[in-house]
Amino acid sequence: MNYPVWQLEFLGGGFLIAVIAIIHVYIAQFAVGGGLFLVLTEHLGRRNNDPGIIDYVRRHTKFFLLLTMVFGALTGVGIWFTISLLNPSATSVLIHTFVFAWSTEWTFFVVEIVSLFIYYYTFDTLSERKHLIMGWIYFGAAWMSLFVINGIIDFMLTPGAWVENNNFWSGFFNPTFWPALFFRTFFSIMIAGLFGFLTASFLKDKKLRTTMLRYSAKWLLVPFVLFLAASWWYRASLPPHIEEIIFQKMPQLRPFITLFMACSPLLILGGLIMAIRMPSGLSRSMAAVMLLIGLMYFGAFEFLREGGRRPYIIYDYMYSNTILKKDLDQVAEAGVLQQAKWIEHKRITPDNLGAAGRELFNVLCLSCHSIGGPLNDIRQQVRMSSPEELNLIFATMGKERPYMPPFAGNEFEKQVLIKFLNTNIRR
Amino acid sequence: MDAVSLIPAPDAIPVHWFWLHLLLTLTTFLHFVAMNIMLGTGFIAFSTPFWRGNDVLPLNSHIAKVLPYSIAFTINLGVAPLLFLQVLYGQFLYTSSILMATYWLSIVGLLIISYYAAYIYRLVDEKTGLARLYIGASILLLLVVSFLFSNNISIMQMPEVWSTYFSDRTGWLLNFSDAALVPRYLHFIASAIAIGGLAIALYFEIRQRRGAKDGDEWIKLGCNWFTGATIINFGFGFWFLGALPTVAYDPATIGGKIFFILVVGSVATIIPAVASAQTGRIIPATAWALGTVLLMTLARDVLRLTYLKPYFSLPDLPYVPQYSSFVVFLLAFAGGIFLVGWMLKTVWNAKKEVA
Ligand code: HEC
Repeated sequence: MNYPVWQLEFLGGGFLIAVIAIIHVYIAQFAVGGGLFLVLTEHLGRRNNDPGIIDYVRRHTKFFLLLTMVFGALTGVGIWFTISLLNPSATSVLIHTFVFAWSTEWTFFVVEIVSLFIYYYTFDTLSERKHLIMGWIYFGAAWMSLFVINGIIDFMLTPGAWVENNNFWSGFFNPTFWPALFFRTFFSIMIAGLFGFLTASFLKDKKLRTTMLRYSAKWLLVPFVLFLAASWWYRASLPPHIEEIIFQKMPQLRPFITLFMACSPLLILGGLIMAIRMPSGLSRSMAAVMLLIGLMYFGAFEFLREGGRRPYIIYDYMYSNTILKKDLDQVAEAGVLQQAKWIEHKRITPDNLGAAGRELFNVLCLSCHSIGGPLNDIRQQVRMSSPEELNLIFATMGKERPYMPPFAGNEFEKQVLIKFLNTNIRR
Repeated sequence: MDAVSLIPAPDAIPVHWFWLHLLLTLTTFLHFVAMNIMLGTGFIAFSTPFWRGNDVLPLNSHIAKVLPYSIAFTINLGVAPLLFLQVLYGQFLYTSSILMATYWLSIVGLLIISYYAAYIYRLVDEKTGLARLYIGASILLLLVVSFLFSNNISIMQMPEVWSTYFSDRTGWLLNFSDAALVPRYLHFIASAIAIGGLAIALYFEIRQRRGAKDGDEWIKLGCNWFTGATIINFGFGFWFLGALPTVAYDPATIGGKIFFILVVGSVATIIPAVASAQTGRIIPATAWALGTVLLMTLARDVLRLTYLKPYFSLPDLPYVPQYSSFVVFLLAFAGGIFLVGWMLKTVWNAKKEVA
């Protein structure tokens, strides 16, 4: 209502953000668990006095550095850019409420960069003990940055008492903070195992390859049990009305729940198979497949978390289309075109019906619906029902259709928007 | 359409704006230093072989080694000012970013390519021939990214152009209606090349102090780039000044007065910097030049306030004090500085032992 709307059509409906976020979060979690993998594996190599393992750690670090520092860090910036373009109002709330959480996160990020560069370039120049300390500093900083970002991400789904008191700490240590922290920590360790498979499968020495593949399998399988427990705890700590909506009232989330369920045994099975001695070509392809399953697994979870937030962007506070819950009635009374700032056709006339309808659509619907794109395409949604049925759909938004905010415009705007949908979108 | 009616309402800040601005200015300064080193050294590594041929390859190996670090730190140190800028000026910055959304988002992709290109240039042994494409591509993309940043700041400061949104809502706006855009950009780039040259001189100066025998040639080369680019930058600077609205340096206003003093101050510091560099005193030259960068950073802050004056001033921001998280940040910040200091010291000492 406050900001101009970037008219993104094909990639809208959450597609752009989903692609960037899933890739980023996967790599960012690898940056945490993978840090632990580096130091503990180095410890192992030093303890066993095994130069083969140390050499493996060194190579793995190079891969780790190139992936997390470049791709991981930049896709992180990418998410930030994307959300501020797609939902500046919500981004502004997150930035203003948590400015010092973000900046604390940033200091950890500085420590991460410095320690990781040092860790990578000083395998030979630092004493064993100091080199390991560098690795631990990296992991500590990486985990702390997970700690901080976790508070902000969960805030969007379960802002808890913040909605009433606006207190930083209520928002940060929100109802799902702790279970999500454990959930993400265990998952990050599992991802370290998945990436361990990949680099280990490239080892030339057969014996070492088998050792490291089995070692990585432990990284995947041991935390798995804890991870499942944390998922259960996570679900249990969702406020009941949110839990009900996600698991019962949103049919469109079903496939993701199923995907998540299906991937669990696949990952366990795959982890067990990886521990069997195999030719290196085969273990390489297996490792790639496992990484992909892991990505789908986590992608499914992120879809649930994001989708489960509908119709809100910040639960119980701001709808996806940036209208505040508390303002809804007042907006509906005064009219969206009057209340929103970036509107060209404040007054509807017979000549601008189409253009005004388009503006209403931009402000109220574009945040969740693409036009002709792969995610939640409004063309398909509209074609599923007859022109007359749209009236009913509008009347049930926010009620029988809990995944959409109540229609925020006045009666006249509703007719203009429906006409726009029936003429310009339904083609 | 009236620009004022388009300006979004800002959200409340949790501490007095002064603290946020202090952090903004400080981190912007650090970001500029890193950015200048990155862009400047990369530019020099790419362009010098065109007239000095393969003689300069030893220098390029050094630059190639450092370039991925400087990219990493430029980006990292850019995150912080972008955060504080959003806190203080979000209602302007989000809007301008949306008006150029497609370009703005492309920055992420451009940076990823540029970064990997820099890594490849580092990892290849042969730094001539085709390998030069890598550093060329890397630097070219960084130059494009810089331009997009200049463009965003330009739109952000000029709400009077915002209504162009209504003729294109898909995020393809570049603000060439701002006469200061191009000189502003060139002024920044020339400054980066100058500081990049000085950074090369400083790097080899420090190596020599730690016992290296080589480097005289590169110290000289760096200083010459510094001097040359600075002289050219006087030209860009005056062009930039001339393109600014006169209120910017109008001595009748406080902002104009401060801006004027800062600009004079930066001229007064860059002259001794050049003189020191030309006489081989690299450390004092660096100190003076950093002073100039700091003054220019401040001048930029004042200029932004002048631009926005018809629409906004900082005390207008809603303010709901909540200092506790600020204190936590300060503690984390102090801890971070301590850790980074300890790590750098450890590495520095270890190198000494080995050498
Ligand atoms: C918070 C996100 C969100 C917003 C905002 C939103 N929608 Fe939806 N809409 C959805 C989801 C999710 C679905 C269900 C998709 C599915 O079942 O595959 C949906 C479905 C629909 C359908 C198909 C009927 C149905 O319920 O399945 C229509 C028609 C529709 N939306 C129109 C609109 C219009 C018009 C607006 C703007 C006034 C709008 N939507 C705003 C999320 C949203």
